[in-house]
Amino acid sequence: MRLHHPLRYLLALVLVCGSVALAATQWTVQPKESKLTFVGTALDAPFDGTFERFTADIKFDPKDLATSRFDVKIDTGSANTRNEDRDEALKNEFFFAVKQYPAAHFVAERFTSKGGNKYSAAGKLTIRNVTRDVPIEFTFETKNGSAWLKGGTQLKRLDFGVGQGEYKDTSQVGNDVKVNFVLLLKP
Amino acid sequence: MQLKNTLTRYGAVAQLFHWVIVVLIITQFVLGLRADGLPQFSIARLQLLALHKSFGITVLGLAILRLIWRLFNPVPPMPPRTPRWQELAAQISHFLLYALIFITPLLGWLMSSAYAVSVSWFKLFTLPNLIGPNKSAFEVLRESHHVVAYTLAVIALVHAAAGIKHHFVDRDDVLRRMLPLPESPTTAFVPTPNTTDTDSPTP
Repeated sequence: MRLHHPLRYLLALVLVCGSVALAATQWTVQPKESKLTFVGTALDAPFDGTFERFTADIKFDPKDLATSRFDVKIDTGSANTRNEDRDEALKNEFFFAVKQYPAAHFVAERFTSKGGNKYSAAGKLTIRNVTRDVPIEFTFETKNGSAWLKGGTQLKRLDFGVGQGEYKDTSQVGNDVKVNFVLLLKP
Repeated sequence: MQLKNTLTRYGAVAQLFHWVIVVLIITQFVLGLRADGLPQFSIARLQLLALHKSFGITVLGLAILRLIWRLFNPVPPMPPRTPRWQELAAQISHFLLYALIFITPLLGWLMSSAYAVSVSWFKLFTLPNLIGPNKSAFEVLRESHHVVAYTLAVIALVHAAAGIKHHFVDRDDVLRRMLPLPESPTTAFVPTPNTTDTDSPTP
């Protein structure tokens, strides 16, 4: 079918506007520069960990928070705490139970602007098949077309059953876990 | 009892340092050996190790204070009739004991650092890691920590045996002067420049 020129431009305009209205910018996470880290406590001292493998589907537009959405899948077996013994322990049935639950899943919707480049979002995190509300706070900064998304949250491992049996005890393996992320996004 | 050392005995501060460190070292062996017998990540083991680390850092802190105290407080001289070899043996073992109460906890701190399990002192503060995570360094440090701990135990036992020998065999004040007991009037020695050496002939 051949359209007349004016009509063709109008159609194109409608399509472009429509897609902008329908969804915030779809970003691509740059894996090299992006990090998902956590801080736990063992023997009363903090230790750092990194999830080496995760995927993040980031739709975000400060001007269109309504359709913004984060969808993150984390490979629970990829936790690296720079201690092989501890990393192996984290995989076992008492902690992440990687065999039954190889992935954790985080979905954020309902974004709120906190002024400036600060935002918060209501999220739901699923670990070991247990889903809990997990709000996150973050900043969003654009630079030369790419964007830095930096933020974090605080959670309690036992809310998700991470720590079965004697590891429900929080005296040596703390309940509080801080999670931080730094994502470099490109359009 | 005086706080500071005198010419004939250790003062209260030096005695307190000595005996508190004795109790802590014994405690450290009990905790460390019991932890070694438990499954690696069992809570019971982690509890023992958390205490072991806190006590170990306490020993290190006390060792620093004790050394400073000693620098400003000359220790009482050996009894005048002490054979030369005994004096030398005592000096060497005292030096080694001082060195080991620094080295043993330091190696523990290093091995915890290499293992990426930082040291907390009774939950009050966390010490910085001295080195980065490193598995092979950890294994060497763990082995060294054990070797120096056992060396410390052996020298401490010889040191204790010597003290007991002085008390029961030689019946002198060498042990008593490190105890909160009065000096025995018969054997209390006061160094005098013209002490004779008649009843302990040197070979």
